[in-house]
Amino acid sequence: MIEPSWIAGLGAFLFCIGLVGIFTRKNAIIVLMCIEIMLNAVNLNFVAGAAHYENIDGWVYTSIAIAIAAAEVAVGLAIFLALYSQRGTISLDEVTLLKH
Amino acid sequence: MSEHSKSEWKLLFPVAAMILFPVIRHFMGFGPIDSAFLIVAVPLLVFPAILILGQMYKGEDWWKNQLKEGGIVALAGLAITLSLTVWLIIEFLVNHAALSQYADAEGTFSQGVIFDWIQFEIFDGASLIGTSTLSFGLWIDSVSLTVLFVAAFLCFLICWFAIGYMTTDPVNEDRNHRFFAEFILFSMGMFGMVLADSFLWLFIFWEIMGLCSYLLIGFYWEKPSAAAAAKKAFLTTRVGDVFLMVGLFMLYDLYHSLEFAVIFADPTMGGAITGDQLQWPLLLMFIGCVGKSAQFPLHVWLPDAMEGPTPVSALIHAATMVNAGLYLVARMFPIFSAEAFHGDLSDIAMLIAWIGGITACMAAFIAFVANDIKRVLAYSTMSQLAYIFTGLGAACWFANEGFEEFAVIAFGAALFHLFNHAMAKGMLFMASGSVIHEMHHAHDHVHLYDSGDEHDFDPQDMRNMGGLASKMPITSTAMMLGSMSIIGIPLIGGFWSKEGIVGQAWNVYLHGGEMILFPALLVLATAGMTGFYMSRMWFMTFAGKAKSESAEHVHEDTQWIKTPLVVLSIVTALSGFILACGEFAHWLADPSHSHLLTDLFAHPVDAILHELEIAFLPHDNTLKIVGWTAILLSACLGPFIAARLHGGPLSEGEQATPMTAWLVNLSGKVGHTEVGELATGGFATALHNRLYIDDLYEWIISKTLMPFARICAWIDKNWIDGVIKGIESGSQSTSTWLRQFTTGRASDYLLMAAVGMLVIVGILWGVA
Repeated sequence: MIEPSWIAGLGAFLFCIGLVGIFTRKNAIIVLMCIEIMLNAVNLNFVAGAAHYENIDGWVYTSIAIAIAAAEVAVGLAIFLALYSQRGTISLDEVTLLKH
Repeated sequence: MSEHSKSEWKLLFPVAAMILFPVIRHFMGFGPIDSAFLIVAVPLLVFPAILILGQMYKGEDWWKNQLKEGGIVALAGLAITLSLTVWLIIEFLVNHAALSQYADAEGTFSQGVIFDWIQFEIFDGASLIGTSTLSFGLWIDSVSLTVLFVAAFLCFLICWFAIGYMTTDPVNEDRNHRFFAEFILFSMGMFGMVLADSFLWLFIFWEIMGLCSYLLIGFYWEKPSAAAAAKKAFLTTRVGDVFLMVGLFMLYDLYHSLEFAVIFADPTMGGAITGDQLQWPLLLMFIGCVGKSAQFPLHVWLPDAMEGPTPVSALIHAATMVNAGLYLVARMFPIFSAEAFHGDLSDIAMLIAWIGGITACMAAFIAFVANDIKRVLAYSTMSQLAYIFTGLGAACWFANEGFEEFAVIAFGAALFHLFNHAMAKGMLFMASGSVIHEMHHAHDHVHLYDSGDEHDFDPQDMRNMGGLASKMPITSTAMMLGSMSIIGIPLIGGFWSKEGIVGQAWNVYLHGGEMILFPALLVLATAGMTGFYMSRMWFMTFAGKAKSESAEHVHEDTQWIKTPLVVLSIVTALSGFILACGEFAHWLADPSHSHLLTDLFAHPVDAILHELEIAFLPHDNTLKIVGWTAILLSACLGPFIAARLHGGPLSEGEQATPMTAWLVNLSGKVGHTEVGELATGGFATALHNRLYIDDLYEWIISKTLMPFARICAWIDKNWIDGVIKGIESGSQSTSTWLRQFTTGRASDYLLMAAVGMLVIVGILWGVA
């Protein structure tokens, strides 16, 4: 059995990859993918914890998180489509309405 | 134009209907005292109504022509108060006994508490001593009813006059609703002050009047002189008001109440209060009266207040505000007459008489040289109010020294003079307003096609008038009767009361008050001076030949201006005689032991002969000499000199009305119109400059208050503003610095959120 700390470390590593991706990439779809990576890094921790403590709660949270993540991707992609049809771009640098 | 005037009578129907208001109240089952609070409440409600409606509908035909920009509304409100006042007076006179359920003290009624205003607890250190309540109620006795009637009657007539005076002047177009709203608020202040049952509420209404006088004097706010005059009036009366307020605090400290019922019931509080303790509060309250009634040395605001529209001058300087100070002194009278204070307060009484004597003489002197018709009247007002103060001072002295019977006579004479003066002066101001109004119109008419360089023409300057007796018959007659009343021509108006005041001032001297000799001499001399300056005003305005082109084209026009003059002419001519013979003065001072008018109706001949004997043949020889000196000075010498200097026959073909023709003819016999500038000496120059009192105040203020104000301004600018400006510029630079972080890129915000999150986690880590 793999040490839980190793799995937690992997989760943290994945989370950081996602975080850096969000900060650095400009393409909205890539940013969305990075968010998914972060989400799954958290899921990994849940699963690892559930296995270690032999408790079903972690599995339940993970399955709910996956289901909601799917829905969230669907909504996110739909927003990007609408954004593209309106502005002709999905680069996050161009979408700076908040500033004005 | 006359067609137009005739149709305007219709506008008065709703006003006339308001007279039925007391009848409705009666059938609703209320008595006059239950309804008395409406005398204050109705104007208080009409005030916002006019203001709001005027602001909403100004310029519309029905508002402008049917309601005269709110004038009819104000007049209707004043008709209600006047009818309620008359109802109250009739009830007071006729059903004296039926009112006993309201009886408070002898001859006084009050409705008790109408509402409780403030309740508070009194602590001594940390322990609760008791609770106290400041409540509002009404105080009704002969003095308050008299002043209330004067105010209500004159406010009604002056409002009537103002409708004609204000709405025909294009300058006032679409802002007259402000005038009428402030006018009725002013009336409310006066009614409230007169009816208030405590010094506290008296003071509150007093201040409302102060505010309204500021607003009304500054009605032509676009004129710098009017704005300055408004400020001057407000600040000068404020000086007196501060003293009055401190005086009321001291009074409260002594009595733990400011209600008349508490103070007058036992001015000694069961022997706990001595006369020495009361000297300071009474003195300070008197200074407040001096400010409000424009007496020396706080008189400077009154002549400048003539910058307001003429109805305002009539309202403030005759009917209401200047009477407030007199009313307050009259309210202090029961304190003077408490036996326990025997002799302790006579110095204050003497001071009141001195201030009165000095002001009477000084104002009369300045009136000698005034050429502005309204300023003559303003100085005459000061002078006549000073008479009343002298009379009240004499009354207070008698009361304090224990001469009850003389105190009653002097007190009654002083307040009787208040009545006579208010009626005559209200009419004189309205008559002068009529003259000014028509001079103004005539000037516009004559110079209609001129290029308009005539800005130096002053329609108020008597040197531009002359010979108006033929063109303004009603105005000239009214002015003649009013002047006669003020002068004290025997048998007319003010004669009865002025005779009493002068006589009682000398009577004080005869009874051991040697100090009064100076003011007594002054008021005696002023009687003659009054005869001169009032006659001078009349002759300069109405007799002789027209001194300017405009004066030849003057004519009387609208009924709105003429009707109040006619009404007041009749009142002035007759009321003095009737009331004097009807024991009015005695009733004023002591309503429970005398009956107004009943003796006159029962035995007219006896009553008249009795009064004539008192006036012309008093028993004491000194008083006889004094009385006849006053009559000769005021009725003969003064008018004769005035006629000699300023009188003269009318132009060829002009005919005065029968009422005034004899006077014009008389002046034509003795007068010669070719008189140059008469008074050019040093004293006359000083008089022209109002004896340099205004300049002296200005100099004192520029040496004391102005440097202090400059220091305050510097501190304000550099320290107080500095702090605020520092906060402002600091926050501005902070926000400029922060603004560079708002890039608008979502990833930047996310980065900041992540960093912030890490920081929070770090902090929590540290805490844990």
